[in-house]
Order: sequence, then structure tokens, then C-alpha cells
Amino acid sequence: MSGQTADGQATDSAAADSAAADSMATDSAAADSAAVNSAATDGRPADRRPADGGPARDLDAYRREVRAWLAANLEPRNDDAPVRLRGGDAANLSPERVAQQRELQRRVYEGGYAGITWPAEFGGQGLTPAHEEVFAQESRGYVVADLGIAGLTTTRVCGPTILAHGTDEFRRTHIPRMLSGEEIWVQLFSEPGAGSDLAGVSTRATRTDAGDWVINGSKVWTSGAYYADYGLCLARTDPTVPKHRGLTWFGVPLTGEGVTIRPIREINGSSEFCEEFFDDVVVSDADRIGAVGDGWTVARTMMVFERLGGDPDETPRHSGARELAPDLVALARRVGRQGDPVTRQLIARAHVIDLVKEQLDAYVATLTESGAANPNLGSYSKLAAGTLNPVRAAIGLEIAATAGVAWHPQDTEASTTALNYLNGRILSIAGGTNEMQRNGISERILGLPREPAHDLDRPFNELRHN
Amino acid sequence: MLPGVTADQKLFAETAERFIRSTCPVSTVRRVAQREEELDGGYFTEIGELGWLALFVPEEHGGGSPSGQPVLDAGLIAEQRGRYLQPGPIVGSNVAALAITLGGTGEQRALLDDLAGGKALAAWALGDPVGGWGASAGVEARRGETGFVLSGTKGLVQDAHLADWFLVSAAVDGRPALFWLPDDVPGLSVEPLAGLDLTHRYAELVLRDVAVPASAVVGQIGGDDLGERLLQVATVLTVAEMVGAISELFAMTLEHARNRAAFGRVIGSFQAVKHQLADLSLAVECSHAIATGALTAVQERAPDAAELASAAKAFVGDAAIDVSQGCLQLHGGIGYTWEHDLHLYLRRLATDRVVFGDPAWHRERICRLHGL
Repeated sequence: MSGQTADGQATDSAAADSAAADSMATDSAAADSAAVNSAATDGRPADRRPADGGPARDLDAYRREVRAWLAANLEPRNDDAPVRLRGGDAANLSPERVAQQRELQRRVYEGGYAGITWPAEFGGQGLTPAHEEVFAQESRGYVVADLGIAGLTTTRVCGPTILAHGTDEFRRTHIPRMLSGEEIWVQLFSEPGAGSDLAGVSTRATRTDAGDWVINGSKVWTSGAYYADYGLCLARTDPTVPKHRGLTWFGVPLTGEGVTIRPIREINGSSEFCEEFFDDVVVSDADRIGAVGDGWTVARTMMVFERLGGDPDETPRHSGARELAPDLVALARRVGRQGDPVTRQLIARAHVIDLVKEQLDAYVATLTESGAANPNLGSYSKLAAGTLNPVRAAIGLEIAATAGVAWHPQDTEASTTALNYLNGRILSIAGGTNEMQRNGISERILGLPREPAHDLDRPFNELRHN
Repeated sequence: MLPGVTADQKLFAETAERFIRSTCPVSTVRRVAQREEELDGGYFTEIGELGWLALFVPEEHGGGSPSGQPVLDAGLIAEQRGRYLQPGPIVGSNVAALAITLGGTGEQRALLDDLAGGKALAAWALGDPVGGWGASAGVEARRGETGFVLSGTKGLVQDAHLADWFLVSAAVDGRPALFWLPDDVPGLSVEPLAGLDLTHRYAELVLRDVAVPASAVVGQIGGDDLGERLLQVATVLTVAEMVGAISELFAMTLEHARNRAAFGRVIGSFQAVKHQLADLSLAVECSHAIATGALTAVQERAPDAAELASAAKAFVGDAAIDVSQGCLQLHGGIGYTWEHDLHLYLRRLATDRVVFGDPAWHRERICRLHGL
């Protein structure tokens, strides 16, 4: 389930996952399966196959065409892409690098291979997920554009959400630019005062007499905003109604007047995330996405795409054979403790954690595919990662002992243990904290009573908030 | 337990559950545990008729399994046995039947009919009295004039008092071997142990110069494959029993949290309680998942069967303690009373955690399996 990342594949399980997305949010809201379904239809024009030839013949011809185009237009890749580790300045993209990658993306777009499953009328190719898979397979040996985390947010989260809820005019303007690399989009979702309680955002959008909107407030935890062009911004348009009902989405240019973007320095020293300040930023009503006051519906569509689109950094990689915790065995050998019984216990503990997570994901997927299972079971996988990853990270530190806390400056391998420790709780917090998962599991799977809510029926401006 | 169970397997498991509920529910198990009642032989011949003991036995000896996947079928029964804390050396009898089927002599195979029908029960004496579960821990077999002479002590033999036969792991010239001994062979004594678990009884098996013919050997001396196979099967069936017990204990606790009121609300509405229950249910689901993976791998003789079986025992062994203690905590005072069934589960799980290898033993085994 979490392995599905391509936009075209996201839709099959979108309906089932809408409830799971809800489990990440604090509050109930009216089920928005309609919104999710419309996302599915718009986001995956699977039936828009070219009329000539059967699908198989079409795919073979397509593959030949893709091969020829790739050979003529892209550089072959020499080695496997390095695994990106979170941390250090190396993770940050320079303006030069972003410009190069945009250029590379433009080449793919102009060649007709961007947005393969996206609707043709908005700059996509209108083909099937099978075509997209063919391109993915064939392009593996070539250098393709890597626009980093914000690039993924653009095509996996913001694009599909805009396809589902944007006006035709908005879609015709922005979707082709998203596909060509000209526009990089991020989500402006969390705020300093609203994390788990997403519907509690307080960034204000106020209507002017001319019909424009003026945005004031701040957003935080925005991946890659420092090189992005636009943000999809959730703002409060009516504080006098209960919190879920007064929200609206806007497309906001990040390079314009009144927007300040500051990198957030994370505990690992890198600055993948940013915070943004909006001071009287004016956007037109044409930049609104979805109806006024209907922002929570759009938000839930977005959360479905976000879950499916996941950050690939956080997906465990399997090389096929299941090695014994290779990072920890290497570490133990470096410090000469591979024969120490305590160290061996720790290594095996970490390995058992790896196996259990893998078996749990497979088990949840099997149950979910059977159709009869509770759609919220994915929360178990999330909570397992959120509770077991920190244990595993601490095990590394314990095996490394002194080598985990001090190392020769050139020794990047040694510093990895410390970095893993610093990153050990990413999945305990990001994408729905452990506590939110526990709420979801206890209420939506175990059937226990909901927490008494103090905020569902009262106007937002009468609530205590940050 | 297994997401892909067939209709035959489902029926097999449901029939098992119905039988247990009508014949040997936890209230009966408790009376047996308190020595107010003894299990009569009827229980074992009835489960023999239900096919629980025939799963690893070939058809010509009255055996067979509903799906043709004996490890998975035995896993389904084990789960039900665990849920209702069923007594008896059933893992031992199944493993012994498998040993005879795979490596038994003609004479030994003649006993398979009785093993399959529950007319004879067996226990596997593998571990030594101090927690070693290696292939020949605790007992040595010297070569004699006509056979072997066995000496040493085995520990933690499950329901040895009910066994008619013992499969004994022993070392011959430092190499592992399996011996098939009747319970009345001279020099062998069953020394009952007092213990935590009230639903199984445990004993040491003391062998003082027990002389046996060469035909008592099962399989090849130094034939590691058979012993390894038996260890994997015994491990995953014990894990499956534990998963059944953990699930039932958790269900009991969830029910308690839904009904018990305090401060004008059911206690299951307090976030402090809900979050504990969510964590415990994660442990239950992870246990199900790894047990399913391990049973399937052992059934299929997959390359990772050994490590998955050990990983399952290591994980579920730890989870058993967490879940038992968490459930006791959430029950509060009532869970600390003798009359409540909770302690029967807590005691059994803490003991099953050790039987056929505790988590630390299996973790070390995982390292060795990987050549570390």
C-alpha cells in the first residue's frame, strides 16, 4: 500500500484510504468519498487509450518509441543513484542545480513523456499506468530530472489535488508548467500553532472589496520551499464558524511581494524544511482551489495523495536477500565487537525489528486486498515504524559506543550512526504522530469511544488556540 | 490467523474451537490445573479423532491434513489451543510423529497409527535443565555392545507425565542424534517440576545409564537436517499457541476496558487507557504477522524458514511479556485475583516464551544462521 507512489496507481485504493487519511487527522469531518472519487477520475484517465491497436501492441510500440527517444535525448546513467541520507548540507539543492534539473525536466516534457497518465487537455499524455511503467522501466538507465522533495510534492501531491479540485482555467495554466519543471509546488499546510490539529490553522485569508484575497500568517515544515515557485495554502476564510467549515485553499506565488521564506535548521544540521511568513500577500479569486469554506474536503483529498506519494527516503529499501542488519554488522566489525554477546543480541534485535515490520506490511496489505478488512489497518504499519525505528536507531548508538558520538572529521561512515540516531523519530512525528495513530487505532479499529471534543461545534474564534 | 485460509482449513479450525468450548473450556482447564479434576484419556483420543495429531503422519498410518499443508493446519489448531489454554503434549506428539515419519525405522513407524489417533502421546526432550536448546544438550549416548547407553538430564519437558514415548536428543561422539524411548525403559525417570504455568506441567527427564538398542535411533547420527526441521516446526507451533493466547488475553482486556466504568465513563474512553490498548494491539498484530510469515516459510521449506521461525519466537516471546503485563495493568486489582483467568494466560505465556528457546537464545541463533 505504502509502496504505491505513482500518481496513476494512487487511485485504485484511494477510496479505501480516505478513511485511513482521516485517521491521521484529528477530527472527523463529513466523508468526502465524492471528492476522492472525482480525484480518481480526473487524475487517471485510464480509459483514454489511443484508439489504434490493442493495449499490448500499443505498449510494445510505445516501448520502442521510448527507447529511441531516451537514447537520442538523455545521458546514460553510470551507477546506481546513491541512497539519500537526511542530514548535512549535501541534501540541499543549489540554485544552479535546480536550474539544471528544470532544464532536464523540460526536455522530457517536450519529448512527450511527462505526466504520462495525466489528462492531455492539461499537458499530460492521457495514457495508462502501464505506459507510465514502461517509461519508468526504460528510463532507469538514464539521468532524469531530480527536483528533490518539492519536485515529488509537485507531481505526487499538489498536481493530483489541483486536478481534482482546481478550475479548468487554473488547471490549464498551472498543470503544464508543473509537468515541464517550470513550476515547483509545495504544500502550505502545518503551522507553528497547528500540527496534528491541522484543521486548527490560523493563517487568515480576507476578501477585499475588489474580490481579491489578502493572506496573513505563517506556515512551517514545508519541504523544499526554498526553491519552490508556488504553494498550495490552507487558510482560514471564516473564523466565526466551527474550525472545519471556515477553511479555503489558495495557490500562492512564493516569489512575490510579502512572502518571506526561511530555512528551518533541523537537528541533523540540514535544512530540507522551511518556514514561510505571509504579510498582506494578495492573490486573486481565480487562484482559489475548491469552494470557499470547503477547504477541509480538499485537505482530505490531499492527505490521500500525500500518504500514497510518500517520501521515498522513508521507504525501507530491500535489495532482495535479507541480510542481517547490514549497517549494524558493519558497525560492529568496525569497532571489533562482532563476537561480543551483548552486541550480537542487539544486532539480532534490530534484524527482528526489520523482519517484523516487513511481515506486518505484507500482512496488512494481504488483509487490505481481501477487501473485508478495516481500512484503517495501515495505522499499524505507521505506528510500528514510529515506535520501532527509534529503538533501532538507539541500538546503533549502543553498538557504536564511543564511535557513535565522536569521530575523525573525514570519517563519514562513522557519522552515519549519529545521523541515524538524530533521524530515528522522523516517522514517530511526520505524517501523523504516534499519538494520532494510537487515537486512530483505538477509535477506528478497536471501537473505543472518541475523546470528548471541545472544538467541533464552536466557532473557531471562540476556541483556545496558539 | 492466516489471511489465505481455505474453506477446509476454516472448517478444521472451527470444528476444533467448537470441540474445545464444549469439552475442555478454560473453566475445565482451571479445574485440572487446580488438581480438582484429571484429564482422562478420552480427551486425547477425541482430539485424535478430530485429526489434530495426524497432521504429520502419512495416510497409510491413518494420517493426513485437510489442506495438505500440515504446518499451516497444525498452526491453526495451535492457535485455538493457545486461545483456550489447552493441556497436553500436543506440540511434542506432533513433532515426534514428524520425526518418525521422516526418519523412523519400520518398527517405529508401526507406532504412527497410535500417535495419529491419540492412543499414544509423546514428548520431545530437547533442552537441558539450564536453558540450552542445542541439538544434543544435556544427554550423552555412549556406544555400547549392542546399542547405546544414555546418561544425563533434560529440562522443561512439556507434559512428560502424559507421554508414553520420548523423543530424546542426545550427543553421540559429539554429534547430534535422536532416540525414541518408551516411558518405561529402565533407568529413565520423570521428575516433576513445580512451575509458573498451571495449564501444562513440566518435568526433568533423568537418564541414568539407559541402555537402548541401535534401532532406537531416529534418522542418522549427525544428521542435522532432521533435528533442524523438528526445531523449526516445534518453534512455530509454540509461537502459534502463544499468538492464540495473546489474542485471547487482549480481547478479554479490551472487553474489560469497554465495560468497566470509573469517573462516570468507561475506562476505555480515557486516552491513557486507549493508547495502551493501541500499543498492545500493535504487539498482537505484529505477532500475528510474524507468526504467519514463519508458519508459511516453514511449511514451504523456504530458505529463510529457520531465521523467520527464530525471529517469530524472539519477537512473540518478548511481546508475550509486554502484552501479559499490559493486560494485567489495565485490569487493575481484579486481574491480580486467583479467580480471574488472566493469570492462567500470563503464566502460560511466560513459560511458552522459554519452551524450545527463549528470545535471547533465538537471537543468538539468528546471528549464527547468518554466519556472524
